[in-house]
Amino acid sequence: MSGADRAPLPPGSIVITGLGAVTPFGWGVAPLWEGARSGRCAVGALDRFDPAGHRTRIAAQVPLDAAPAPRSRRATLADRFAVAAAGEAVASAGLDASALAHAGVAFGSSTGGLIESESYFEDLLRRGPRRARPGLLASQQFDGPGDAVARALGCTGPVLTVTAACVSGAAAIEAAARILLRGEADTVVAGASDALCRVTYSGFNSLRAVDEKPSRPFRKDRAGLTLGEGAGVLVLESARHARERGARVLAVLAGAASTCDAHHMTAPHAAGAGAAVAVTRALTEAACDPADVDFINAHGTGTPHNDAAEAAAIARVFGGLARSIPVTSTKALIGHLLGSAGAVEAVVTVLCLARGEVHPMPDDGERDLSIALDLVLGLPRRLPRARVALSTSLAFGGANAALVLRRPESAHVR
Amino acid sequence: MSGDPATALKIKTLLVEKLHLDALTPEQIADDMPLFGEGLGLDSVDALELVVALEKEFSIRIQSYEVGREAFATVATLSRYLEGRLASADSHVGS
Amino acid sequence: MSAEPVVTGAGAIGAWGVERRALHGALAAGHPLARRVEGTPDAATVPAAACAALVPVLDLSPWLAPAHARRMAMTSRWSVAAARMAVEEARPGPRDGGRTAVVMATAFGSVWFTERLVRQVLDEGPQAAQPFYFSECVANAAAGQVAIAEGARGANVTIAQREAGPLIALSQAAAEVREERAEAALAGAVDEMSPLLHRLLDRYRALARGAAGRAEAPRPFDLRRDGVLAGEGAAVLLVEPAATARARGARTLARIRGTGSAFDPTATESDWGEGVETLAAALHRTLRRAGVAPEEIAGIVSGASGARRGDALEGKVLRSAWSGRTLPPIVAPKAVVGEYGGGILACALAALDGASFGRPTQLTEHDPQMGIDLHTGSIPHGPILVSALAAGGAAAWVVMDRP
Repeated sequence: MSGADRAPLPPGSIVITGLGAVTPFGWGVAPLWEGARSGRCAVGALDRFDPAGHRTRIAAQVPLDAAPAPRSRRATLADRFAVAAAGEAVASAGLDASALAHAGVAFGSSTGGLIESESYFEDLLRRGPRRARPGLLASQQFDGPGDAVARALGCTGPVLTVTAACVSGAAAIEAAARILLRGEADTVVAGASDALCRVTYSGFNSLRAVDEKPSRPFRKDRAGLTLGEGAGVLVLESARHARERGARVLAVLAGAASTCDAHHMTAPHAAGAGAAVAVTRALTEAACDPADVDFINAHGTGTPHNDAAEAAAIARVFGGLARSIPVTSTKALIGHLLGSAGAVEAVVTVLCLARGEVHPMPDDGERDLSIALDLVLGLPRRLPRARVALSTSLAFGGANAALVLRRPESAHVR
Repeated sequence: MSGDPATALKIKTLLVEKLHLDALTPEQIADDMPLFGEGLGLDSVDALELVVALEKEFSIRIQSYEVGREAFATVATLSRYLEGRLASADSHVGS
Repeated sequence: MSAEPVVTGAGAIGAWGVERRALHGALAAGHPLARRVEGTPDAATVPAAACAALVPVLDLSPWLAPAHARRMAMTSRWSVAAARMAVEEARPGPRDGGRTAVVMATAFGSVWFTERLVRQVLDEGPQAAQPFYFSECVANAAAGQVAIAEGARGANVTIAQREAGPLIALSQAAAEVREERAEAALAGAVDEMSPLLHRLLDRYRALARGAAGRAEAPRPFDLRRDGVLAGEGAAVLLVEPAATARARGARTLARIRGTGSAFDPTATESDWGEGVETLAAALHRTLRRAGVAPEEIAGIVSGASGARRGDALEGKVLRSAWSGRTLPPIVAPKAVVGEYGGGILACALAALDGASFGRPTQLTEHDPQMGIDLHTGSIPHGPILVSALAAGGAAAWVVMDRP
């Protein structure tokens, strides 16, 4: 518990001991799991801001009526999602104040407090510079949510925010793992948070990447993504630290890797080459073969190109096995949470592993025969074996990330 | 191969200005030069940027499915497409 | 250790331009590289802070073809150009793009494009949003553009941690190399200063304003300091394993001995806190990790910038970390290059290069709370500590030397 570094750890020594989430299904992991399991779609009419004039009218929004009061009057929505999810995660991990004091925070966000900045601009334009409230911008930066979590929990360990578009959440988890592996901290609170805003909503629409209807990942008639918001947080610890304090281990973070297509700023590499490399490296770090993977929580945004590229990446890595590994995309239920997608999906993946079942996507639309994946549709799929799971994230700017999670009992996969 | 040269010139001006083709003047873009891939070498984001610019310039809405290879292949094809849209808009004045 | 990270190339763009010699000259002269910021019609009051360390108009074509630049925000252009400068200096030879990483930091992202996009959406309606602006205003656009330009297909990370971002990015890049996930890593930072951002920072009292008889200028550790000089620009370093550099006879600009970061939870969203002991303890751990004792540090390139609470915290942390010992020579180059844009990285290399640091011309007298008098002249040969404390609570340090 002193401030000294520990000796660096071998790979496979990072465990997950707490989970927290704020999503369109509600505030908490319980409503998230209940919603995911049911395969219900949390997409509804957009009302966070005036939908008039936007090309599409739907979004997956966090229900704000259930929100706890903000800690600070300058807290942005993204801050509030983050702090609530982090609070739940550390409580579920049973971390005391002393453990938190030495913990680090690795967080992700793609927009920070942008919706509050937009309100500032509205003030500026409608009410003039004298009446525009700069307080709206106090926490507008990308590191707002991560710093808010660190302040709320009293952490003094390494704290960093990664902003890597749709890979932010996964990148934050990988960064947390590296901090632990280096012995720079015993515990790192890892997660990500993003709130809907006009700029992102308009921006994705300007790229014609948004569907008018809820997204249908990997299906034949998929026509774009659906935007969502929320936060996902996981408590990562060294296995030794968790053991010493008698913590309950929910999963092992066995492997993490990221790559970049270096191909185009908004289009993925068509054959999913970069994504395939990220998956392969993560599996290697996890000492797993493709055949060991029991299910995949895919990035699956529902855009024509991304889903095709991701399917190609999966085929590249898994070959013939690709047809028989259950694949789901949480985005079909809660939309694309942008920066926090990778973190929330990691939370969902841990839950699926722990319960031995993969949540479904709505059984909506036709099969895309060019995508030979075993999609989990309609009902949850019980797994004959639930030891190893893969979660993937792909982003604007070409970044790809893969996380390999293992059930705690299965220390030896081979 | 008819078509209002004014429409073609407007399109070429938009191409140069909105897509930041600083090395070119509108006059240097031939009517039948391919816009995407070979020729001008534009890509998918340029296409979307062009759509936004055309929507503003010509006060029309362009649906995603209309942004097809045929209409957007060259300045000439784009000209014809736009004139068709504007003509049908005129014929529905008041509706 | 063969995978020990070393810096073999660097590119930096800032208010001094692009030439290393110009940066060294500016550091020696000690004047803030300040230019008047063009007013924005939205200025709430008569602007109190009028200047920023702005990048002059530059011809970047030696490093970035205009055809590629056409869709890039300035932040991407500067980053790609600086990365190219770093690669050209290092001359790394054929390498596996799949094992080249990019780690960039930014405090504010692409503010010009973001502002334009927000105005378009609010003024003209959502469907006026231009795809160009959106795809370039994501904070990781610069890192993505660097990856495309350099064929870097390894990890691609953008750190957002305000004033501590550049050092955290360098630390992360060093880790990619040290832990053998990358054979080369491009590490850096970029930020741009728009008139609106400048006004907002001023409204938050973050910027130096000056007063009767006292020019507007950043005064690190000074009794009369009243804010920072806002800066912009990009700096990119190429980091690779020492063994690879040695094998091709590359010149080592710096060897990364150790890195560390911590957080002060007593900070607020937009200011520094009081966590002196917390941060001093973390600084000690960083030194231990680097295998360098406090008395071996030849000099400190401090992130002190003229911020009232920021400099107080920085000064007290250094005093606490060196308590019972004499503080090594301390320089504060943000007095010249301003805050934001990665200037601190270029200045750290300048220090190792033997650059001479002139006394910042606008200093009055030191603040007795910290009692730090800035060193003038070059820093003696030996390991240096580079420090950066961020508003909001984060802190980062890097220990580097030139073997």
